[in-house]
Amino acid sequence: MTEKRQILVGEGLFTWPSDKPKLIATHCKSCGDYFFPKSFTCHNPKCKEKQVEEVTLSQRGKLWSYSVLYYPPPPPFVPRDPFEPIPIAEVEIPEGLKIIGMMEGIKPKDIKIGMTLELTVGTLYTDKNGNDVIGWKFTPVKA
Amino acid sequence: MTRVAIIGVGLHPWGKFPEKPWTQIMVDTAREALADAGVEWTDIQTLIAGSQIWGGRKGTYAGNYFAEVMGETGIPIINVNNACATAGAVMRVAYMTIASGVADLVMAAGVDKSPKGFFPSLPVYHQEPMPSVDTLRWNIGLPNPVFWALECRRRMELYGVTDADLAKTKVVMSKHGVLNPKARYRKIFTEEEVLNSAMVADPLRLYEICATSDGAGAVVLCNLQKAKKYTTKPIIVAASSVASGVYGDPTARIPSLGINPKPGVPIISESYVAAKAAYDQAGIGPEDIDFVELPDNSAWHPLQYLETMGFCKEGESHLLFRKEETLIGGKLPVCPSGGFSSFGEATMAQGFVQVYEIVKQLREEAGARQVKGAKVGIAEVYGAAANNSALILKK
Repeated sequence: MTEKRQILVGEGLFTWPSDKPKLIATHCKSCGDYFFPKSFTCHNPKCKEKQVEEVTLSQRGKLWSYSVLYYPPPPPFVPRDPFEPIPIAEVEIPEGLKIIGMMEGIKPKDIKIGMTLELTVGTLYTDKNGNDVIGWKFTPVKA
Repeated sequence: MTRVAIIGVGLHPWGKFPEKPWTQIMVDTAREALADAGVEWTDIQTLIAGSQIWGGRKGTYAGNYFAEVMGETGIPIINVNNACATAGAVMRVAYMTIASGVADLVMAAGVDKSPKGFFPSLPVYHQEPMPSVDTLRWNIGLPNPVFWALECRRRMELYGVTDADLAKTKVVMSKHGVLNPKARYRKIFTEEEVLNSAMVADPLRLYEICATSDGAGAVVLCNLQKAKKYTTKPIIVAASSVASGVYGDPTARIPSLGINPKPGVPIISESYVAAKAAYDQAGIGPEDIDFVELPDNSAWHPLQYLETMGFCKEGESHLLFRKEETLIGGKLPVCPSGGFSSFGEATMAQGFVQVYEIVKQLREEAGARQVKGAKVGIAEVYGAAANNSALILKK
């Protein structure tokens, strides 16, 4: 029997392994803008210099908006059986970016716009070979 | 620039047609448009066609495979893909071909057969160092309606839009769609039925998200000066615009994972720019429009688009639905065709539902759906990756 493995949803997206994982982004030193996922250039059409550096982003932010998915998403995602609704967050972080990701550790009825959330890394789904595909998620910060 | 008119339209009835080849769906529709225009296929000097994404390699070059069965004549064929806004882009290229004086008779066409349920992910054959945002979002479990849901929830929070307001948009579309023999869903839905339908992507319910259909549309465009030879009712293309996103757009667009909003950039900036460009080109404003065909992909869309297209202030669109002003007979009929809510999406073709409807309305051939005294209509169609197009037609 093969051992169950963790597979990153993609390289270069977040610091891993880590106790306090952070999203990896591009910061433009010329115009100050941030880009997630990271990019090889600054996307601001008015920015001339485009001097970019790789940075990590703030782990906490405020819930800007949310949804809860009640129908299983299509492949490559492998929904749990039985399917459990998936809360989705759009989180505004201090850098000014809004990041979209799954929410965990919260019931749909407890979701409130404006609540503080923290970045975590966990299983998005278990693929057909039994490996956990891991990515960034958001979890509520206890007051 | 040469002025451009529409002299013929065809629209296939929408539904699911697994037994009918898409080329046949397209041929039937094109023949309807040609007969409507009173021209022969062999008269068509250029074909602009939607390039499918679900139909594999053959679908990618849909225009060529369609022409093959219509009978090849060696004309220029251009295949266009601007996501669900493709028909608008097809119209724009067809319009420009005539406006530039390159050709006098052009066909714009699009046909699609949709997969069932959520539009799925597509394979990527390139080798890349990092997965694209579009690849990532499928792995995070984000089908298209989730992005609309995020915008919709925020709107509800900001402006007091209720679940009942969302349901009302579907009710209005269904009251129009029931009158349209080409529509797939011809039944009036009550607010209660909509609210009792299954939650899909909270706050959007099953009946608040358009289905995925098979369908086709075709339009014959002509140099206006030569149109009189074919018709007594040429419909004038007052504007045909295409726009893309503006840097700093705050929208959770399809697909996005990190949004970088900038002050002053409007939500769905591509749609705002396309509408503005169309008004500028036509030399008119929203107050001159008699009815609107907008992309009601979900219950969020009509609310957003009425504001984006300049028909009301931000945060007030749901009030137009509450006051029933959006019904045929109201101050601003919205989607007299029944909209995508009554037709379903067929990515390459859905914009042609709108073109067909405006032409029928302006010719006063819309039967029970007729908007009385309609002289000017606008259509706007929306696609993933910040694709958008607007079209203003007048008598």
